[in-house]
Amino acid sequence: MADKTITAELAGRVISFSEIGTQVSAGDDLILIESMKMEIPVASPAKGKVKTILVQIDDMVDEGQSLMVLEI
Amino acid sequence: MRSTAWQDKTDEIDERRKLALRQGGEIAVRKQHDKGRLTIRERIERVLDTDSLREVGPIAGSGERAEDGTLSFTPANFVLGIGKIAGRHCVVAGEDFTMGAGSPNAAGLRKSIYTEDLALQYRIPLVRFHEGSGASITGSGGKKVQTLPGAVYERSRFESIARCLGTVPVASAAVGAVAGFPAGRLAASHYTVMTRTTSQILTGGPALVERALGVKLTKEELGGAQVHEKSGLVDDVVEDENAAFDAIKKFLSYMPQNVWELTPRGAKDDPVTREAPELADIIPANRKRIYNMRHVVEAIVDHGSFFEMGRKYGPGQITGFARLSGYAVGIFASDPKHNAGSLTAAGAQKLRRFVDLCQTFHLPIVTFVDEPGFMIGPDAERDATIRHGASALISVALSTVPWMAVLVRKSMGLANYAHMPSGCHVLAWPSAESGALPVEGGVALAFRHEIAAAADPAAKRLELEDQFAALQSPFRKAEAFSVHDLIHPRETRSRLCDWIELVQPGLAHQLGPPQFSFRP
Repeated sequence: MADKTITAELAGRVISFSEIGTQVSAGDDLILIESMKMEIPVASPAKGKVKTILVQIDDMVDEGQSLMVLEI
Repeated sequence: MRSTAWQDKTDEIDERRKLALRQGGEIAVRKQHDKGRLTIRERIERVLDTDSLREVGPIAGSGERAEDGTLSFTPANFVLGIGKIAGRHCVVAGEDFTMGAGSPNAAGLRKSIYTEDLALQYRIPLVRFHEGSGASITGSGGKKVQTLPGAVYERSRFESIARCLGTVPVASAAVGAVAGFPAGRLAASHYTVMTRTTSQILTGGPALVERALGVKLTKEELGGAQVHEKSGLVDDVVEDENAAFDAIKKFLSYMPQNVWELTPRGAKDDPVTREAPELADIIPANRKRIYNMRHVVEAIVDHGSFFEMGRKYGPGQITGFARLSGYAVGIFASDPKHNAGSLTAAGAQKLRRFVDLCQTFHLPIVTFVDEPGFMIGPDAERDATIRHGASALISVALSTVPWMAVLVRKSMGLANYAHMPSGCHVLAWPSAESGALPVEGGVALAFRHEIAAAADPAAKRLELEDQFAALQSPFRKAEAFSVHDLIHPRETRSRLCDWIELVQPGLAHQLGPPQFSFRP
């Protein structure tokens, strides 16, 4: 098991995210970021579990900012 | 029959040819390879069809015979020739970095200057490999020899470079450190790539920058791939030199030989009647959700024919080439992932360039529209977005190549003019929504007093948004004959393939140089 930090691909506002403990498969939506009224999903790169969430709903995030840590 | 007098001379021809191939010598060539870079002769050999190179001025250089009769010959440090790519002629050229770091010696300078003239004369594409910083302060004679400054009757070096751009396709690659004059020339191309780890492009190198600005930065920090991938200086960063050759060859495959010809039609092995059923629900019902516009494009054009250019610059706009029923076309599509596909300053510059490229070489343009409008906000204003936008709109408005617009989702406001010049053929999908402003922004603006005064402002806003969304429905446009047709997404390919046949004769009537000259 290794930790994988998920970063934002683009700047925007955090709308929602999967809860700690959620089991995810590769490609599942982990976080939704809103940018220019569009909801952009951040997908999981691999199968794993949500370990830590580093942001809160409505946070404005920058491109490259760490959003959550997965255990994969 | 052997003649003794001429035998000496023909032997010397062979000797000089052999010496010229040594370039800067074994040690210099090995140093080049150790740095992960090929020599100019290797590059030329790999980009061209096998054995197709016919070198021009192969024994230009300077020779000296010693007292014991040995010939020492320093070739020009610039290689120039005509060869074939995919069976079509082209000029190929570049600096020989193994000699004097590519800073031109006298013969090298002459061949370098002549390169564009050759392409103009034979009206064939030009491929340039750039490595080096151009002229040294010591001039082309080196540190010991003073060369005369240029005469008043000599033509500007940039004149032929500029004229090439309105005549033949020009593709360049930065395959080492490129600065000074070579950097300007590199940028003066229709398609430019740089290698990811072995090239840098700089107006001035670290020594000049430190002297002038007191700032100490490495070549990589100043002008490496991570800088220029997003700066717009190059179209694409490629992984290595082999990838550069592939990219150049791919680019040229969509181009004609010159502005007086059309791109040859390719294979017709993808049926024009192929329906793309996956398009039926590729656009999410939820208007806020994104989808993959590249999948839309790839499902419609001939299999595997989509060649994107400039992906990392102005990423909200997708530009590239593709084929429909074997005919080459330009593709311009919105990417909803980046700022909802909004037209940014960078995107507008990329678009303007792309439209001018298609116009120059007579490629019809197909645009897949999901356009929310020009980018807004403080950064957008600082970038003078609407000025670059106006430039793009003007290019589009005055383009004479045929345009086909497929309204995939949004088509809003002023930025619509970036997709639909006069006479554009317009097909709408059921998911199309069009108007002056996106519903949310438009309602928030026009009805802000009514919403604030309502008992339940959120409900009032939603009610108004629904009302205006209905007005933006594609059926209203179909009824008003505002679109040529409202179609099932799966019908798109066959419609586009019908259209591409229809436009060919008119294209042939437009051949010749553009009214402006292409400006990168």
